[in-house]
Amino acid sequence: MELSVFDLSKHLGVTTSTIERWLRQGKLPVSLRGANIKFQVKELEMWASKHNLELKITQDPAPEIAQKPEISLSSAILNGGIYIDIPGHDTESALKESISKISAVPEEHKQGLLARLLEREAALSTGIGGGIAIPHPREQVAFLDNPVVSVCFLKNDVDYKALDHQPVSALFILLCPELKMHLKLLSSLSFCLKNQNFIQFLKDQPGEDNLVSKIDLLLKDNPLS
Amino acid sequence: MSFIKHWYKTFYQRVFHLDDRLLLIIAGSLAGICSGLAAVALRLSLETMLEFLHPLRHYWWAFVLPAIGAVLSSFYLEKIAREGAGHGVPEVIYSVSRYGGLLRFRSSYSRLVSSFLTISSGGSAGPEAPVVMSGSSIGSNIAKVIGLNDRQRITLVGCGTAGAIASIFNAPIAGLVFAVEVILGEWKFVSIIPIAIAAVAGAQVSQAIIPEQVLFYHHPFQVGFYDVIACLALAVFAALISVFFTKVLRQSGQLAKKSSFPLWGRAIVGGCSVGLIAMFMPVVLGEGYHFIQSMISGTFSMGILFTFMAVFAKIIATALTLGWGGSGGIFAPCLLIGSLTGIVFHKVLLLFFPEIGVATEGAYALFGMTALISGVMQAPLTGIFLIVEITGGYETILPLIVVSSISSTMSHYIEPASFYFKELIERGQFLRPGTDAKILSDLNISELIETEYTCVSENMVFREFIGIIKTSNQNFYPVTEDHTDNYKGVIHIRAIQKYALDPGIHDMIFLNQIMQSNIQTASLENDLHEVLDMMDINNMDTLPVVENDRFLGMISKTRILDLYRRELIMQTSVH
Repeated sequence: MELSVFDLSKHLGVTTSTIERWLRQGKLPVSLRGANIKFQVKELEMWASKHNLELKITQDPAPEIAQKPEISLSSAILNGGIYIDIPGHDTESALKESISKISAVPEEHKQGLLARLLEREAALSTGIGGGIAIPHPREQVAFLDNPVVSVCFLKNDVDYKALDHQPVSALFILLCPELKMHLKLLSSLSFCLKNQNFIQFLKDQPGEDNLVSKIDLLLKDNPLS
Repeated sequence: MSFIKHWYKTFYQRVFHLDDRLLLIIAGSLAGICSGLAAVALRLSLETMLEFLHPLRHYWWAFVLPAIGAVLSSFYLEKIAREGAGHGVPEVIYSVSRYGGLLRFRSSYSRLVSSFLTISSGGSAGPEAPVVMSGSSIGSNIAKVIGLNDRQRITLVGCGTAGAIASIFNAPIAGLVFAVEVILGEWKFVSIIPIAIAAVAGAQVSQAIIPEQVLFYHHPFQVGFYDVIACLALAVFAALISVFFTKVLRQSGQLAKKSSFPLWGRAIVGGCSVGLIAMFMPVVLGEGYHFIQSMISGTFSMGILFTFMAVFAKIIATALTLGWGGSGGIFAPCLLIGSLTGIVFHKVLLLFFPEIGVATEGAYALFGMTALISGVMQAPLTGIFLIVEITGGYETILPLIVVSSISSTMSHYIEPASFYFKELIERGQFLRPGTDAKILSDLNISELIETEYTCVSENMVFREFIGIIKTSNQNFYPVTEDHTDNYKGVIHIRAIQKYALDPGIHDMIFLNQIMQSNIQTASLENDLHEVLDMMDINNMDTLPVVENDRFLGMISKTRILDLYRRELIMQTSVH
């Protein structure tokens, strides 16, 4: 295999002018063919092994791992679904009722998930204000394949120990198999919930289609996504 | 009394403290004398013992003698002196480059005893490397006693080496050149003067004690133009032999290590094989100075084929002795193989060109020796000066230079690492002054680590963390566990910018959700070389240093470059 000055500079991680200086100083083995400077990989390898140098000439840089298509908040809500009229009088009962309704969570995991959500609430309330809470576990949820956001509208307002001390009327239960998705969805969600219009819109307990299209519209303006 | 003390203090301060040249010269000559004495002692005791054992050589069971010697020698080294086998020169070189020439005191006599046992019983090895080890250890310990620093100690190690070689060969220049070329690896004004004086001191000791000073008698040689031409061919031939010799030596050692014999078993196998070879080829026995002498004076009386076989017999005998438990150097075997090679070449030359006017067999024995020494050690100057000095024949210098340079170039082309350096290079211990490897090995992680980092808890809420980064200028925040303070991961400011700009989630996330927990960490035991490799592989400029789950600090390329440059300036500055 032959390498040009440019190829070699890429392999060694230096600029072409460095390679040219090394050539001028006689530090690299090279075969000159007219004006063309070509390096023989075999020669370079022999030279490196004789001088006890490490030379990392790889064939091609490894192809970058194809990134998973990023999931959007609206598709996560479609995964999770919308549930209305959830009974409950405090954090625990509201969460318990919500979890039992969510069909995306397999039955056998419901108990464990509830404990984890409550644990998270004990550390710091997820009620972010404006009557909305975003319950989620600290560690990611391994039993899910796709991220899930379930919107649960409560029958009665509940004292959720929210950061603004207001009662909570809607829960966005956020469950992700991966941390990266979790942060992304959390960020999108908090962007939407900053919008007062959106909060007003939620008071009317909109249907799935309405909610999703509203969110898509809002997120178009999100500078961080 | 106090007056003397005061006077001494002033004198010491004025003369030695500011400029250590005089001190080094005095200490160096002392080292030269002591190592010269050690060399003379070994040489004399070897001669006596060989004479004493000579009558036994005629019995049929004489072949077990080298085995007895090898067993005693390996037993002594392993159980009594508790030192590694081998000839010791790589150890000296490594100690000089890594530990400022620190050597144990027992090294100053252990190799003398073991090589005495090996060689006097007939093992094929040379007394020079043991003497070098002993001389350098004497130099190192003199330096230790008078409390010198590393740089001065290295000079004294060189002095001891030079004194030993100068004394055993009665060749002061060869001693000087060997010490500088092979052991120290750098030509520096301040170290050359004491070494030269030590070499003279060593040679003087040997001349004073041993009356017939010259190891080999001088014979005037008529060297002509054809000889220089013939030497070109001889050099190539000898270079091949020396590469072969080096390879066989190394292979034999590896083979012995792989074999399932116990230590004494190996010594018996090796020793008996040498003894059996010696039954047919007595030329392989011992250090062989006697045979070299007869070859130089032209009284060597073996046929072409027999001499040619003797070359390989000696190579194999040496490999069996040194690889399988004996102890000694390769200097004398090189000389013997070289002179045999030279003689074979001369005989072949006369066979094809009977009319050609070339020098005598003895001259070719000299050329062969030079070629072998230069080829095996890849130290051309040592080869030239040693042969000129031990034979006292200056008229041969022209072909000697030709032979030496061609042979060392040639063997360097085939095998870039010389016999002494090969092991060190393989173990990554070849650290010549001013090289990258030397600097990287001198700097250690604890010097480079930056410890002024505030740690944050993994359960900290992101909003609190934002408050911390507002008032601090750290780029990295190590994250620790709450109760144990164990290291969990690290937060790089650049990686969390996105979250920091999104105030809506400040209360929603904890630090262990955004820290990087899977990045490579270094520990204090890592070499700098390994750390740099880790950085390259992971494409990172900064690594956390973690020891026993505790975060110690960060190590960064910027800091490495900074200290690397200072270190390079310090190490290459002229003293």
